[in-house]
Amino acid sequence: MPVKLHTAVKEERIQFHLLHSRDRIKLKQQLVCSYEKVSVPVEEQTRGFQLEKGKYLIVDSSELELAEPEDSRVIEVHEFVKTAQIDPVFLERVYYLEPDIPAKAYNGLASAMSEMDVAGICTWTMRKRSYVGALKVSGHVLRLNTLRYADEVIPADSLELKNIPLSEKELKIGHDLINQLTAPFQPQKFENEHQKKLHVLIDKKARGEKIAILRPRRLKPTASNKLLEALEASLKKVA
Amino acid sequence: MKGTRSAPLPSKLSANRGKDTAEQGIWSGTVSFSLVAIPVRLVRAVEPDRVSFRMLHSRDYSPLLRRMVCPEEEKIVPAEEIIRGYEITPGKYLLITDEELESVSPERSRTIEIIEFIDMKDVDSIYYDHPYYLVPLKGGEKSYSLLAEVMRRADKAGLAKFVLGEREYLVAVKSTGSALSLITLHYCDEILGDEDIVPEEARIEPEETSRMKRIIKGMISDFNPDKYADKRREKILTLLKKKARETAPVEAPEVEEEEGEGPADLIAMLQKSMRKVKKNR
Amino acid sequence: MDYYRRISPFILPHLKDRALTLKRYPNGVDEEYFYEKRCPSNRPAWIKTARITRDEGEQMTVCLVNDLDTLIWVENLASLELHVPLAKAAFPETPDSMVFDLDPGDSADVLDCARVALILRDLLLELRLASYVKTSGRKGLHVYVPLNRRDATFEDTKKFSKSVSEVLQRNYPDLVTVKMAKELRTRKVFINWSQNDHSKTMICVYSLRAQDKPTVSFPLSWEELEDSASRRDSGRFDILHSEALRRVEKEGNLFQEVLVKKQKLPYL
Repeated sequence: MPVKLHTAVKEERIQFHLLHSRDRIKLKQQLVCSYEKVSVPVEEQTRGFQLEKGKYLIVDSSELELAEPEDSRVIEVHEFVKTAQIDPVFLERVYYLEPDIPAKAYNGLASAMSEMDVAGICTWTMRKRSYVGALKVSGHVLRLNTLRYADEVIPADSLELKNIPLSEKELKIGHDLINQLTAPFQPQKFENEHQKKLHVLIDKKARGEKIAILRPRRLKPTASNKLLEALEASLKKVA
Repeated sequence: MKGTRSAPLPSKLSANRGKDTAEQGIWSGTVSFSLVAIPVRLVRAVEPDRVSFRMLHSRDYSPLLRRMVCPEEEKIVPAEEIIRGYEITPGKYLLITDEELESVSPERSRTIEIIEFIDMKDVDSIYYDHPYYLVPLKGGEKSYSLLAEVMRRADKAGLAKFVLGEREYLVAVKSTGSALSLITLHYCDEILGDEDIVPEEARIEPEETSRMKRIIKGMISDFNPDKYADKRREKILTLLKKKARETAPVEAPEVEEEEGEGPADLIAMLQKSMRKVKKNR
Repeated sequence: MDYYRRISPFILPHLKDRALTLKRYPNGVDEEYFYEKRCPSNRPAWIKTARITRDEGEQMTVCLVNDLDTLIWVENLASLELHVPLAKAAFPETPDSMVFDLDPGDSADVLDCARVALILRDLLLELRLASYVKTSGRKGLHVYVPLNRRDATFEDTKKFSKSVSEVLQRNYPDLVTVKMAKELRTRKVFINWSQNDHSKTMICVYSLRAQDKPTVSFPLSWEELEDSASRRDSGRFDILHSEALRRVEKEGNLFQEVLVKKQKLPYL
């Protein structure tokens, strides 16, 4: 169904700039040649596909564009999946969908998806790039989440973590501890306090006041053989 | 173009990634909940866009890197000559050092303290911002495994606030497989309301809903993220296979080792020792 | 040459079981030279060799200089300089030490290297790592950190030495550089941490250098280095073969510890 997209998230924060220590000039991030170490103008930039280290196949941007389909204003839904199956690591940007069609269909879809707890996996093309996304519902509004492609996500297995055996006791106490510390998700409780503190810091500096340097707090790691002890002590503290 | 025999195209575009990426540390410190402290390192979980394409210099085919450049001197500025400034008036900057920045929230710049746990089901996905993985540092493997396993079984995540560089994030620490991932969340006031998106009264007609449900039922399947990645890869590979037959690949000149920063925790410790040495000299 | 025969008891332990890279000067030091990793096929049957696998997968036979006779034979090949990897041939991925190759840029000299070497020594001591220094036999100095452990890897030594070098550069930006580009090295000492690699070799301690003067890559005690540095006497870093022979009689093998001392790199 044809729709209009609206951004769902905005971020406001204090902006710092990176400067050159020698002349205090604001730095720009640019593409530089790794060999010659100088900035490369756009007309000298080209795209290459890496076959192996040091070997590339030059791909013309016009060739790539030809491979991409036309922009489509239609978001095509291919399948529906249970919402819980989509791991948050795949979620990229989120947009609100404003219906371009009669409310009846939009609302019907929204309520059906809500009752069945599903998301629709869809594809579309925007600005000459093809996207894959998840159509979701929240209340009465449909949202579109762009999804990352699987090959852009680093799999957890590649971290090569060791398999450490855990005792039943440790697991039980850990479980109890987490339950004790469980609370309902109330995001409105959290504010970005740092922004305020940064403003205070900047004001202080601007007035020429001395800034007290506080060392960051570093905790001593819990040793493996002290884990059970730490868990039991924690449970006692919160129960 | 220097041509040699054309090399076979890698069948999986992600094959070029290699181990290095997973090991690039962005931050290191401790994750704690109650009295348990786990030493960890933060690493990236996603590599957007690249798909093995790199920007190259058309003159010598060497890969292009993103670097900070001084527009006046037109030179790359090395890390040790970069300082942070806040623009109070156009062109006038207030300099802020790393230590001053860390002093703003000293309890949160090296520690991710989980203050409570939440049910994953309760979290509206609109809050998710950016994912990372946490990797245990030496000595922390057991407590790391415990936290991951317990959260996995309970389907819960830990909420914490932590400061990375200039920003303070609200984060969710959750389990992904046997690993711990950290997802930064948006603050409430960063999320735009959706009230004006659906201007009309939400009139839900039961037959319409049932009709939709029937359609949906016919299209139910399991989430398989590889499917779409494969399709895109196929398209690019077909294009490239054609190219490989027609043209030979180019070779980039030998470039000295990438100058990235060393692992964060090692550098921090070395810097600390260096300060002691300087004092004694 | 007589030098190698007489220095053999001191140099052989450092050459033992390592894939030798010959630097051959068939027409004398002033003429062309070439590096040879492969053990010449026309070698006598008694020369000990090892088979190693190169990066591209092909196998190669290398010479192992484990005794005096082999050493002499190698010398007769007009291989004045003896270069060896940081790892033994049988365990090519396990370095026995980590090395800091200090190379002075244009307008810098060995005294600047000495300054860097001393700061480096102090930093390493702070990390509880003992280090040993030798002259390169040319313009620079080499600082070795013995490891001698089975779990040491080039990945670790490279990462560690790179980080140490970067921290030194950050703190002494006018003296130290980690950047290879020649223009960036003027008046500074370049720390070539990338030598910590299975494919790289270093000049063996006690080896001759092919210079107009027959200098030797010779180990120095830290006291001596401090002394020469404070006297600003760069000449004392040029040790000729005759002086080398005299000194080993008196001092013994100052690099002995590099072969035996076991140390572990922290914070990895």
